[in-house]
This record gives sequence, structure tokens and C-alpha cells, in this order.
Amino acid sequence: MATASSTGSRQSIELATFAIGEALCGMDILQIQEINKIMQRTPVPQAPDYVLGVLNLRGKIVTIIDLAKKLGLGETDSTDNARNIIVNSFDGSAGFLVSRIGDVVEVALDKQEKPPANMRGIQGKYFSGVFKTDSLLIGMLDIDKVLHPDE
Amino acid sequence: MMSDQKFQEPFDPAREELIDTSAVFSGEESTGEKPTDEESGVDSAGRQTSIRVHVSLLDSLMTLAGELVLSRNQLLQTISSGGLKSAEAVGQRIDLITSELQEAIMLTRMQPIGNVFGKFPRIVRDLAAQLGKQIDLSIFGKEVELDKTIIEAIGDPLTHLVRNAVDHGIEPPELRRQREKPEVGSVVLRAFHEAGQVVIEIEDDGAGLDSEQLASLALRQGLVTAEQVQSMSDKEKMNLIFLPGFSSADTVTDVSGRGVGMDVVKSNFDKLGGQIDITSETGKGTAISIKLPLTLAIIPCQVILTEGERYAIPQVNLEELLRIPAHLVKERIEIVGSAEVVRLRGKLLPLVRLADALGVERTYTDPDDGSVKIDRRRRIADRRSKQSPLTTAPAAPEQDADQHAPPVRRESPDRRIATDSALNIVVVSAGPITYGLIVDRLEDSEEIVIKPLGRHLQQCQGYAGATIMGDGRIALILDVANLATMAHLSSVDGSDRATEVQQETESQIATAEDSRSVLIFRNSETEQFGIPLDQVERIEKIKRNDIEYLGAKRVMQYRDGSLHLICVDDIAQVQPLAERDDLLVIVFSFGTHSIGLLACGPIDTRDIAARADEETLRQPGIAGSTIIGGQTTLLVDINEMVGQLYPEWF
Repeated sequence: MATASSTGSRQSIELATFAIGEALCGMDILQIQEINKIMQRTPVPQAPDYVLGVLNLRGKIVTIIDLAKKLGLGETDSTDNARNIIVNSFDGSAGFLVSRIGDVVEVALDKQEKPPANMRGIQGKYFSGVFKTDSLLIGMLDIDKVLHPDE
Repeated sequence: MMSDQKFQEPFDPAREELIDTSAVFSGEESTGEKPTDEESGVDSAGRQTSIRVHVSLLDSLMTLAGELVLSRNQLLQTISSGGLKSAEAVGQRIDLITSELQEAIMLTRMQPIGNVFGKFPRIVRDLAAQLGKQIDLSIFGKEVELDKTIIEAIGDPLTHLVRNAVDHGIEPPELRRQREKPEVGSVVLRAFHEAGQVVIEIEDDGAGLDSEQLASLALRQGLVTAEQVQSMSDKEKMNLIFLPGFSSADTVTDVSGRGVGMDVVKSNFDKLGGQIDITSETGKGTAISIKLPLTLAIIPCQVILTEGERYAIPQVNLEELLRIPAHLVKERIEIVGSAEVVRLRGKLLPLVRLADALGVERTYTDPDDGSVKIDRRRRIADRRSKQSPLTTAPAAPEQDADQHAPPVRRESPDRRIATDSALNIVVVSAGPITYGLIVDRLEDSEEIVIKPLGRHLQQCQGYAGATIMGDGRIALILDVANLATMAHLSSVDGSDRATEVQQETESQIATAEDSRSVLIFRNSETEQFGIPLDQVERIEKIKRNDIEYLGAKRVMQYRDGSLHLICVDDIAQVQPLAERDDLLVIVFSFGTHSIGLLACGPIDTRDIAARADEETLRQPGIAGSTIIGGQTTLLVDINEMVGQLYPEWF
């Protein structure tokens, strides 16, 4: 939502990290509305296969997307660790199902590197960059691209 | 806006009057009701950003809000004290207040349709002057109220329709004179309530539409194929006007025909959940009727269940609910070509299985062990086999059941007796198409709040939105019109067409076979006879002792004379006349002579095919036989009988 303006003035951002399959990804914490574990979804027949269904979030209808499937990384199992990350997109809310959430990491913006060449597979286009911390490598998700419906 | 209205109608007691004729063409009531916007109550897109609400409504809202707060306090108290009984009471109270509040808030959004209608007098007058036509616009039902969003959305499409009526509909004065119509054309705009909806009608007494011409235009523009046109009903041809890209190129002027076609009008109304219908008579005029819901936010819906998920069908689209008991499924469901239909009061209704239309795998519960298995029946009336190769071979669960069902003849007995295999059909209609949606179970009818689906689901054509049910789960709202398209139901397969085709074939059969009416009667109690009705002069009821015997002849008194009486068994080898007291005499006339045929009841008339079996039971006096009402009926040849008994008459 407010990334474009806020990243410009800030030196560092906080990333919420989560696991998609084996990969560790992150997104700007300001883009996240909430994280919950409501698993009572209503499936929507004929929806794209990465749409798991719709969720009643306090009276709002939220589309839940299997992030792993969208990125071509297999399917997310609905285990106990799985969470919905609800994000604010420009036309209402959408949610991602991720297999596990991790810590919030503060990273300096100038530490952002271009996504490596071998990330250019099907999922490559969804990453805006990579952050390297002491022990981790975090792929920064480009939420707008992920949320853009398939052409 | 307020000042504007005051200016127009200063405390006019006649405002309540329903009929409000705004004489237009030459009339002086010129002020369009469009507010002149001093308080800038209009946003950049031209929509009103502020509305007028009556103070009494505001007061009642305030009271309700107060009550809501009180109830909340009560509820909090009850929760902390933990009394279930009083919690129930509070729950009821809150239920009551919320529904009242909801109604009151809806009321604040209601706006009179006059806000839209108000600009038409001017439009029509300007247009008429420009085109050199004389048009009288009458407006009825200005006070009918609709939701603000609807009022805003119908302005443009209605304008288009009105312009169409003026430009294409009403002919120039000379032409009208030639056609012996009054020179001043009339356009009537009408709004009224009907069955919980608002109906807007636009009627003109102009040239009307020619369905054949529309069809040939659509054909020329490549929108339909010749075969499609051939199989179209009149109404469907009329509806071609709503096809995207359709243009009546013959009549493009600078007023209409600027690319915004009727398809846009239709899609505009579709978006609002409205239905548009067009009726026209060539030379007489056109009437367009639009049905709109009162409000968009809350609609009554029928909730149904299919494959474990609930779906809502808007009540607007709902025609009726039909349940076919298991043992009747085989008889009621017929197959026409590849389509399944059910005959409903003489009409053929195409059937669509919701699960198939949505692409959900059909399942059924095994009546023996209660387990859920994949239903692979291709046809509804097919029997279920005990062995299901798909369930025993789990390797292929993704396969399309329809394509892989092997055509094996089942040896197990008919299993469709189980009560749960009764068919639940929701008869729905969308525009010209009416069809039956087969669902698993019918649930309640509920008032639901429509919520939009996210953009990832915009491509799913089958849904109009979603709603949240009482238990917090989501039910999808079905878009009946798009479902029909998804199920490849063109309205050609639809009921209208099917009925029409059937009627045509039936009438063809009738003319080809040359049906005729016969009078059915009996001679003995058990044998049935028939005689062409057109030969019968009249039928008399007599008593047995009215018959007088003169030598070998029987006569009776009839119209101041004697009538010779004969029996079928006088000539034909059939059982003798029944020993009854009440008899019938069927009177025939041959030139100057009349003859009475003794018979007994019951009598009846039937239309039968003229072709009769003229060999099997042929004998003197009997022309042949046919089956009427499940009984062999001998057709009496009265000419032959009389010819044998009274040869001197001929």
C-alpha cells in the first residue's frame, strides 16, 4: 500500500519472513494487514488452481491464494504451522497461505541485491530482490506482481 | 437540489397525483430536474455525493441506534452474569433492532425515479425538434423509489432507450400520416412496483421492430449463422438486437447509432441485476420493459447445497422448485438429442447439473455403507452400479467421469429406489432462457448481503458474488444467466424454442395425418364404436319403450314423424344392443331421409388420426378399426349400413 512512498524516505525496512515450501521469502511488514490461521475456506469451483477459496474475515470476503502454487513451487500443506497472510491490495483484501511464518527481520534497503540469475524461473518474476542477512537469504516478494491475475 | 424542486413545485397539493404528463414537444415545463449544484453535491464523475433524508427518518435512525446501544449493554451484562435464558431474550431484541435498523438505513438510500425521468422531457423535445418530429412524452410513476446506486446507474441506458424510441421508433409526421396514425407520436415512460421489483417501461407507437429484418441484419453482420436464424423463435430474433456489435446500419443518424448499442444497455441493466425485455409489433410500436431490484445490497435468495457447498440463487431468477421422486425419475426425465429435459406442464425444460456446470466432481452416498463415491452416471436416469471402477481404482480420481464411464450393461437391480436419489430441481430463468438446475439439496430461502469477489475470481463467470451465512461460512451467489452459457445452453435449446419446435411438429403431424373427430359410443356394454362426427346430425336420449316395432322395422316418433331405427348389430357381426332402459339415438340424414342409430353411452368425442386399420376387423357396416383410449374401436360405416338396409334410398 504505502511502500512506494515510505521506502523512499526510510533507510531500512522490516521484513516479515515466511516459508514457501523450502524457500524463505519476505515482504514489507507494512503491506500486511494481519496474519491468522482461519482455515475454514469455501472452495470456489472454476477458480484458477492457485486460488484455494474464499474466507470470511470479519464480514469481508478474502480470496486465499496458495503462494507456493502461484510461484510454481508445489503445493502448501495445511499443517498446524500454516498461516494466512492477509495483505491490502488496491481493490480489497487477498490472503496468502504459507507453510510457516518466520521472524520479522530488519534489513537495510541498500543491502538489497538483484535476484540471482538462477531465480529467473517461473517464480523469478515475482521477486523484486534478495536480502542477505547474517545467516539467511530472503527473497523479497513483489506483492503487486503476485496479486496480479494471470493474463 | 432542494431549491430546484421548490422552484418547480412550490407546495403543490397535486404533487401526489400519480399521472404526471409533461407535455414536451411544445410544452413549457422546461426545467430538467438536474440540480444546478450550488452546494457542490456532485462529485467529479457526476454522481451525487449528498442526498436528502427526511428528518423523521433520521430521528427513527437515532432512536434505533439508541436502542442498539442499550441492547449491547444488556448483552454485555448477560454475558458476565452467564444466564442463558436472558441471553436469548437479548439476542431476540438485537435481532429485531438490527433488522429495523437495516430497513431504515436502506430507506435513506431510496430515491425517487423522477430524478432520472426529469431530464427526459428536455431530451425528447430537443431531439424531436432536431429531427422534425412531433412527440408527446408522458411520464408516469415519478415517485417510485429505487436505491441510489441504481438510480445513478440507470440514467445512461434509459437515455439511450428514450433516444432510440424518438429516433428509430417514431416515424416522421408525413409517414405517420400515410400510415394513418396521429401525427404526434407518443412515447410513454412508466415506472411501477410489481412483485417486489420495480418495472420501468418505455413504450412508443412508432414503426416497431421487424424480427425478420433484425435476423437478416444480424446474419449480414456475421453475428449469427443461417442455421441459427432458422432455428430461432420470434422472441429470440427480437433479442438479437442485444448482441454485441449489432447495429441497424440502415438507420444510423447523428443521434443514435454511435456505437453504443443495445448490448451496452443490456449489460448495464444486467450489472444491476435487472432484466430487459422487448416486445414489438411491426407498424404498431415497441415496448421495452425493464425489471429492476429495489436495492442491490440485500437480496432474497434460495440457498441450495451441491457437493457439500452452499450456493445462493437470487429469488429474482427463481421460478419454482421441483422435486422428482426417485421412482419417477426415469419417466419424467427425457433425452432430446444429447440434452436432458424434464416435461413441466407441457413445456420442455432443459436440465443442467450444477455440479457439472461448475466442474465439481459429482459424488453420491452409497445407500449400503454410507460412503461417498464418485458419481459417474452420464444420464440422470441411468442406474447406479454397485461396483464403481473409479472408486476401486483410486489411481484415476482426476479423470472426467463422463468420458470414462464404460458402457457396461449393469446386472444389479435398479437401485434408484433409495429416497435420497430423488431429484431436486431449481427452475430458474434468465432473460429468454428458463432451465432446471439440478442440485443436491434445497435449503432455506434467506435474505443475504451481497459481497463482491476479489479480482482473482472475476474470471469465474458463474458467480454474481458471495455472501456470508449465519454460521460465518461463505456461500457463493450463482449467476444464473452465465451458468446457462457455461453449460452451453443457448436459448435455442431453451424451453421456448423446444416448445415451439414441438408445437410445429405436432401441427405438422396433425395436418399431414389429417385428424378427424369421431363420436365414440357403445352398442353392447363392452364394445366401443366410433363414427365420424361430421356425419352426425344430432343425438337423442330415449327410453327403451319409446321404440315402436312395425313388422321387422323399428321406428320412433321424431319431429312429428317417424324415424327408422337401426342397430350396428343389424348388419355387423357384433354383440347385440345392451339391455338398457336409457338409450341413445344418433340421427343421420341422407338427403330427405333420416335414420337413427341405436346406441348406448357413455358417449364422447375424440380427435384421431384419419388413418385407420382398414383390414383386420373389416366387415359389412364396419369401415375399420383404431385404438382410442386404449380400447379397440370399430369405425361404423353408416353409408354402407343404410345402403344395405334401405337400398331404395340411394
